[in-house]
Amino acid sequence: MATAMAATAAERAVLEEEFRWLLHAEVHAVLRQLQDILKEASLRFALPGSGTEGPAKQENFILGSCGTDQVKGVLTLQGDALSQADVNLKMPRNNQLLHFAFREDKQWKLQQIQDARNHVSQAIYLLANRDESYQFKTGAEVLKLMDAVMLQLTRARNRLTTPATLTLPEIAASGLTRMFAPTLPSDLLVNVYINLNKLCLTVYQLHALQPTSTKNFRPAGGALLHSPGAMFEWGAQRLEVSHVHKVECVIPWLNDALVYFTVSLQLCQQLKDKISVFSSHWTYRPF
Amino acid sequence: MRTSLQAVALWGKKAPPHSITAIMITDDQQTIVTGSQEGQLCLWNLSPDLKISAKELLFGHSASVTCLARARDFSKQPYVVSAAENGEMCIWNVTNGQCVEKASLPYRHTAICYYHCSFRMTGEGWLLCCGEYRDVLIIDAKTLAVIHTFTSSQSPDWISCMCFVHSMRIQEDSLLVVSVTGELKVWDLSSSINSIQEKRDVYEKESKFLDSLNCQTIRFCTYTERLLLVVFSKCWKVYDYCDFSLLWTEVSRNGQFFAGGEVLAAHRVLIWTEDGHSYIYQLLNRWAQMGAAYKTFSGLSKSIYPADGKVLKETIYPHLLCSTSVEENKSLPFVMGYMNERKEPFYKVLFSGEVSGRITLWHIPDVPVSKFDGSPREIPITTTWTLQDNFDKHQTVSQNVVDRFSGLRDETGSWAVASSAYVPSLDKLICGLEDGTILIAQALSAAKFGLLEGCSLLRDSSSNRILKGHDQRVTSLLYPHGLSSKLDQCWMVSGDQGSCVILWDIFTGEILHKFFLEAGPVTSLLMSPENFRLRDGQIICCVCSDHSVALLHLEERRCLLRARKHLFPVKMIRWHPVENFLIVGCADDSVYIWEIETGTLERHETGERARIILNCCDDSQLLKVEPVLAVASETNKHKSIEQRSSSSHQLGPMPSPGLQVESSCKVADTKSFPRPFNVLPVKTNSSDVGFHILLFDLENLVELLLPPPLSDIDPSNSFHGGDILRRAKSTVEKKTIKRNKASCSSLSAEAQTKPVSGNQDQGDDTIRFLEENDVIKRQKKMKGSKKVYPKPLRKVDANIAIDTAKLFLSCLLPWGMDKELDNLCIRHLNISKLQGPVSLGLASSEDYFSLMLPGWDLCSTEMKKECSRVNLFSRKVLDLSNKYTATLPNHVGTPKGLENSCDSLQESNTIVYLLSRLFLVTKLVNMPLELACEIDRSFKMESIHKKMKSPGNDILNISSFSGCLRNGKNEFHTPEADLSLLKLISCWRDQSVQVTEAIQAVLLAEVQQHMKSLRKIPISSQPVSLAEGSNCDMMQLPPKTKKEWAEELELQCTGNILPLQTPVSPVKHDSNSNSANFQDAEDMPDRCVLEESESPGQPRHHSWIAKVTTGGIVLVNMFVFSFPVIIINTSLKIILCFFLVIILVIFMNLFINIESLPKGISYFQICKPGFFYLL
Repeated sequence: MATAMAATAAERAVLEEEFRWLLHAEVHAVLRQLQDILKEASLRFALPGSGTEGPAKQENFILGSCGTDQVKGVLTLQGDALSQADVNLKMPRNNQLLHFAFREDKQWKLQQIQDARNHVSQAIYLLANRDESYQFKTGAEVLKLMDAVMLQLTRARNRLTTPATLTLPEIAASGLTRMFAPTLPSDLLVNVYINLNKLCLTVYQLHALQPTSTKNFRPAGGALLHSPGAMFEWGAQRLEVSHVHKVECVIPWLNDALVYFTVSLQLCQQLKDKISVFSSHWTYRPF
Repeated sequence: MRTSLQAVALWGKKAPPHSITAIMITDDQQTIVTGSQEGQLCLWNLSPDLKISAKELLFGHSASVTCLARARDFSKQPYVVSAAENGEMCIWNVTNGQCVEKASLPYRHTAICYYHCSFRMTGEGWLLCCGEYRDVLIIDAKTLAVIHTFTSSQSPDWISCMCFVHSMRIQEDSLLVVSVTGELKVWDLSSSINSIQEKRDVYEKESKFLDSLNCQTIRFCTYTERLLLVVFSKCWKVYDYCDFSLLWTEVSRNGQFFAGGEVLAAHRVLIWTEDGHSYIYQLLNRWAQMGAAYKTFSGLSKSIYPADGKVLKETIYPHLLCSTSVEENKSLPFVMGYMNERKEPFYKVLFSGEVSGRITLWHIPDVPVSKFDGSPREIPITTTWTLQDNFDKHQTVSQNVVDRFSGLRDETGSWAVASSAYVPSLDKLICGLEDGTILIAQALSAAKFGLLEGCSLLRDSSSNRILKGHDQRVTSLLYPHGLSSKLDQCWMVSGDQGSCVILWDIFTGEILHKFFLEAGPVTSLLMSPENFRLRDGQIICCVCSDHSVALLHLEERRCLLRARKHLFPVKMIRWHPVENFLIVGCADDSVYIWEIETGTLERHETGERARIILNCCDDSQLLKVEPVLAVASETNKHKSIEQRSSSSHQLGPMPSPGLQVESSCKVADTKSFPRPFNVLPVKTNSSDVGFHILLFDLENLVELLLPPPLSDIDPSNSFHGGDILRRAKSTVEKKTIKRNKASCSSLSAEAQTKPVSGNQDQGDDTIRFLEENDVIKRQKKMKGSKKVYPKPLRKVDANIAIDTAKLFLSCLLPWGMDKELDNLCIRHLNISKLQGPVSLGLASSEDYFSLMLPGWDLCSTEMKKECSRVNLFSRKVLDLSNKYTATLPNHVGTPKGLENSCDSLQESNTIVYLLSRLFLVTKLVNMPLELACEIDRSFKMESIHKKMKSPGNDILNISSFSGCLRNGKNEFHTPEADLSLLKLISCWRDQSVQVTEAIQAVLLAEVQQHMKSLRKIPISSQPVSLAEGSNCDMMQLPPKTKKEWAEELELQCTGNILPLQTPVSPVKHDSNSNSANFQDAEDMPDRCVLEESESPGQPRHHSWIAKVTTGGIVLVNMFVFSFPVIIINTSLKIILCFFLVIILVIFMNLFINIESLPKGISYFQICKPGFFYLL
C-alpha cells in the first residue's frame, strides 16, 4: 500500500489533484443528487411551500387484516393529518356491529409523519446552503455537512420505523379517543400510528377487573401492541385488555420515502468514505 | 463520587478542536460562552477593553451542543443552560465552571428562553424551549423537569424561534413563536402562569401565517413597542405587532442566507447572514418625515388605532429602508452571529463564532451612521481569538507528554500523539506517534517533565523505550493483560494507519508478530470478554475505518475472520459465546452476525429486528459477557475520553476499552481498586490524542502513604476499607505525627521512606508489618491477578506514592508569589517548581467536569499584571490563606516534622501531613449540605465541650476528637484550633469558594507556617507552648494528653487488645458531663460557638439534669452501659470507637427520637460488629 511517506512527489501531486477534483466537482455532484432525491422524498410528504399550495389531497386507506374481519377501518389521510376515520367493529360476543367516525371539525395529526417531513426539510435546507457556487475548502467541512445531513435523515427514518411505545393509560389519555362522533364506549381504546410504511390502527377491547378479583394486578408497561391480558389502572378503575384488533394498510408514498432515506444515507456515507480515503494521506491537514 | 479526585491537564501544543455551534455573552459582559460540535463548552474571558482569552473547557455533553441560554437572573446566579443534540440539558455555573443541574430529555432543543415573572411565579422560573418537537416545552429552570407545554390548537408543528413581548402598557408578557411552516403564534405568558402550574392546556391567542419558510429569528422592538422583526433564511420582514400586518420585506441578495437579527434602536435593525456578514438598516418612516401626526412610534397610543385605522394603515406603509450596512471582511464558511446589547457601562457588541473555533467581536457604535456620500460604512473588527491563540501565547504550559522525548531525538519538532494508553499496573504510558514510533515511558516522570522545571531525571532511558515497527501513524493501542490477567503480561498490541497490527513484547521491545489486515486504518483494538474463548484463547478484535472488522488470535498468531460487508461505520461489537457469533452493529442501525469459525455472514438484519438482537444480547449480559463497545459513533466521537486505563484494570464483565463515552471522574469512580495516580488520554478529535489528564486521588494517596505507620502501631492490620476504618486510620496517623512532635522517633516515617532510603536497619517487626501490609494492599489492588514481581512492586509503589504526592503538591503550590518561600519549598520538601501555571480540572459530578486552559491565569481581571505567571488560582486564595493562618494557632505550625535530623524522613512526614490537610479540606468543602448541618451541630457540641473542660478533661479531648472522626477529618489540634479551622473552612463552602481555591489557600498557609518555622528554628524538638492569658492552660493541655495517648497507644500495641465488653462500675461523672454536652447541643440549636466565653459551670449541669427527657434517659443508660468498658480497658482505641458509636447512637436518637431503651441497645448491637472489625 502506498504510504504517504513513500509517495513520490508525482504521486503526491496526482493525489492532490484528485482530491481537489473531489472537493470541487464530485462533492457538488453528490450533493446535487442528494438534493434531488430528498426533494422527491419531500414531495411524497406534500410539503407545503414546495410547489403545490393549498390543501393537501386526501387519500383513503382501507385497513384490514387478512385473518378476521372483526375490525374494518377507513382512514382518510390529508398530508400529515387524519381528516376522517370510519371504524367498524364487530363485537365478538354478540356480533353486534359498532360504527365510529371522526367528528367533522376534528383532525388528528400523525406526529410521526410531521416529524419525518420536518427532518427531511431540515436536511434539504442544509444542502441548499451549499449549492454549486459554494467552494468547499477542506474535507472536514464536507464531513461535517454530511454528518449533519445524515443525522437529520436518520432521525426522519427512525421516526417512521420506531413508533412510540405507549402505556395503556397514555393511550386512554390521548386525544384520539375523544375524536369520535359517537363517543367511544369506555371499554374501547383506539390507537393509530405509523410503522415503517404502514398505517396501523389498533383497537383494544377492555373489561373491568372486579375489585375482588383474585387476579394478580400488574400494570403493563409501554408497548407498541399490548397483548390480551394486559392490565392498567384508569381513573380508579382497573381494566384488562380482553381483545386486541390490529389492522393496517400500506401507504405507498411512505414506502417510497423510506427507500429515498436509505439511498440518500448510503450516498452520504459513500461521500464520507471517499473523503476519508484522502484524509489518511494528509494527516497533517485539518480534517 | 470521589470528591478527593484532583485532575491536572497536560495540554499539548495543539488546542483541542472546538467547532462553535452556539455562542452567547453573559449579561455582565465578562464571559463568552460557546458550545461546540464536540460537545464541550468553552468559557472565554471578555475583558473590559474587549480582549478575549479562553479560560475553561467544560466537559459534559456527549453530543453536539445545539443552544445556550441564561438559566437564571444573571445578577443573582451566573447560570447558563446548554442543550445537546441528544437531548441532554445541563445548567452550568459560568463563574466556576461547575455543572449545577443536568437532565436528559427525549427532546432536541434549538432555542431556549429563560422566563421569570417574579411576582407571579414561585421557584426559579421557566426555560421555554422549542426544537424538533411539537409546540413549546416549559421546563423548570431549577430541576430541568418538564412542567407543561404551550399547545397550539391550529396546525401544531415544530417551532423554530421565539421571543418575548413585554408590554409596559398592559403589564402582560406574551410569547411569540414562528413554526417551521412559517406560522406566527402568540401565547399569553404571565396570565397563563397559573393554568400552566395547574397543568391545564393553554392554547395560542392568535396565529397568523407569515408566508415564508425557515424562520431564523423573531424580535420585538422594545423601543417602539410596535415593530416586529422576523428574519427568514431568504428574507427579513417587518410586521406591525398590533395587527401583524406586513410592513416591509427585504429579500436577500446574491444568494446569501440570513441567520438572525436584532433590533438595535427605535428604527434600526441589525441583520446577519450565515457567512458572517451583518448589516445595519435604518427603518425610515416616510410619514413621520413628512411631519405627520406621528412624530414617533414610541408614543403611539392604541386609542388612535381603532379610531382611524385607515390613516394608520397608510402611515405604516411608507417605511423606507436606508441601509447603513456593515460588511465584515473574511468570508467564513458558516458563522453563528448573535447580538447582545446593553446600556451605558457596556458595549454594543456583535459577536460571531466559527466552525474553526474562532470568535470575532465587533463593537457597534451607539449611533451607526453611513458615510457622507451615503454609502455604507464598514465597522472594523474589534477582537478576534481562537483556542489555539491561547495555546500559542502560553506555550510553557503546553507540554505534551511526549515532548520530553524530543531531547532523545534529533528533530526539534514534536510529533503529534496519535494514540495513547496508560497501563496502571506498570505505571507506563504508551504513546503511538504520527510517524509510527511507539514510546513507552514512566507515566509519572513524563508528567513531571511536562509540568515541572528542571526535571532531567529522564535521562535514565532504562524505563523509557522506543519501539519502531510501524511506518505509519499508530492509531490504536491495547494492553491485553490489563483487561484479562490470564494473558501474557508482556504483550502489547498496536495498530496503524496502514492496517498493520503488531504484537509486541513490551519489556524487550521485540516484535512478536505482524498482522497485515489489508483494510483501512485500525480505529480501535478491542478484546473479547474473558469467558468468551475460542480454542483456549482470547481474541483481539480490530475495527477498521473502512467499516471492516478483523479478529486476531494472539496465541496462534492468526487472523480468524475478516468481516467486510458493512456499509456503515461499526458502532458496536458484541460477542455471542455460545454459538461463537460476532455481532456487529453499524451506524445505520443494522446488525451483521458473523460466524467466527467459518468466517461467514450468518445474518444481516435492519430496523426493529436489529434492535431486538442487540437488546437481547443486553439481557444475556449476566450469562455471557459481551463488551459493549461504542466505537466512535458519530455523536460519540467528538467528546469521549478513552478510558483504556481505567477499564483495563477491571476484571470480569465490564465494558472493555472502546471509545467509551465516559468522562474522567466517572472513569475513576468505576475503578475497582484505587490508584493514587492515573493518566487519561483524551481524544478530542478523531485522529489525535489532544491531551492527557492526570488524575490524583488525594484520598487514596493519603491512604497509601499511611499504612506503614498504621502497621507499626497497630498490629491489627486486618482492618482495611470501610469508612470508619479510614477515619480510624487517619487518626492513628495523626497520632504518629504527634508522637513525632513528642520527639519519639517515628518508625512510621522510616517505614515510609524506607524504600527511598534503601532498606537500612529496620526492625524485624516493621518489615513483617510491611510485608503484611503489602500483601493486603496487593490483594486489594490486584484482586487475584497474578503479580510476578511482588517485592519490587511494593518498592515502586511507595516511591510512586511519594513522587505522586510531590508532583501533586507542586501542582498546587502558588509558585512565584514569594521567591523565598519557593526556594524553601524546593529545598526542604524536595519538590520542583512548576514551569508555569498548571491547568487544573474540576469535577462537579460524575460526567461533568471542567478543565482550565493554558493562559487561564491571565483571565481574571483582578489579577495584577506582575503576578501573571503565578500559579495562583485566584486572588481569593491569598485572603483565604491569610484568614487560615490567622486562625491557625501559632504552636500548631511549629512542631511538626522538625525534630528529626533525617531530612528525607522529615520531608515525607511533612508531605504526608500536608496531604492529609488537603484531603480534609476537600472533604469539608465538598461536603453535601445535609452533612453540613451535622457538622454545625458537632461544632456546637465541641464548643460546649470546651465549656465542660473542668469536669473531665480527657473525655473532652476524646469527644472532640471523635467529633473530628465523625466528619472524617484529619485535624488534630487543640479543640479551639480545630474548631475555628473547621468553621472557617465550612464557611468557605458556604461562600462558594471553589475546592481548588480552598486547597491552595490551606496549602499556602500550611507551607508558610512550616517554612517560617524552618527559617526561625532550624533544630527544635520541643513543642513551643505559648502561655498567654487565660487561654494558656487550654492551649497547653491537649498536646500533653496527646503525648500520653501516644504512649498509651504504644502500650496498646505491644499488649493485647482486651475483650470488648468487660463489665465495670460506671463512672458517673464522666457520663454525666458528656451527655450533658449532647443535651446542650440539642437544647440550644441556635447558640453558636460564640458562647465560648460563657463560663461553663455546674448550674448548666443541673439544669440539664432537670431537663432530662425519656430520650435523655436512654442516653444516660447508654453511657452507663458503655463507660465501664472504657475505664477498664484504658485502651484509647476502644474509647475512640465507643465515642464513635455513642455519637452515632445519639444522633440516631436525636433524629429518630427513640423512646425505649431496648431499641437503643439494639442500635448498639448493630454497631458492635463494626467494633470487632475495627479492633
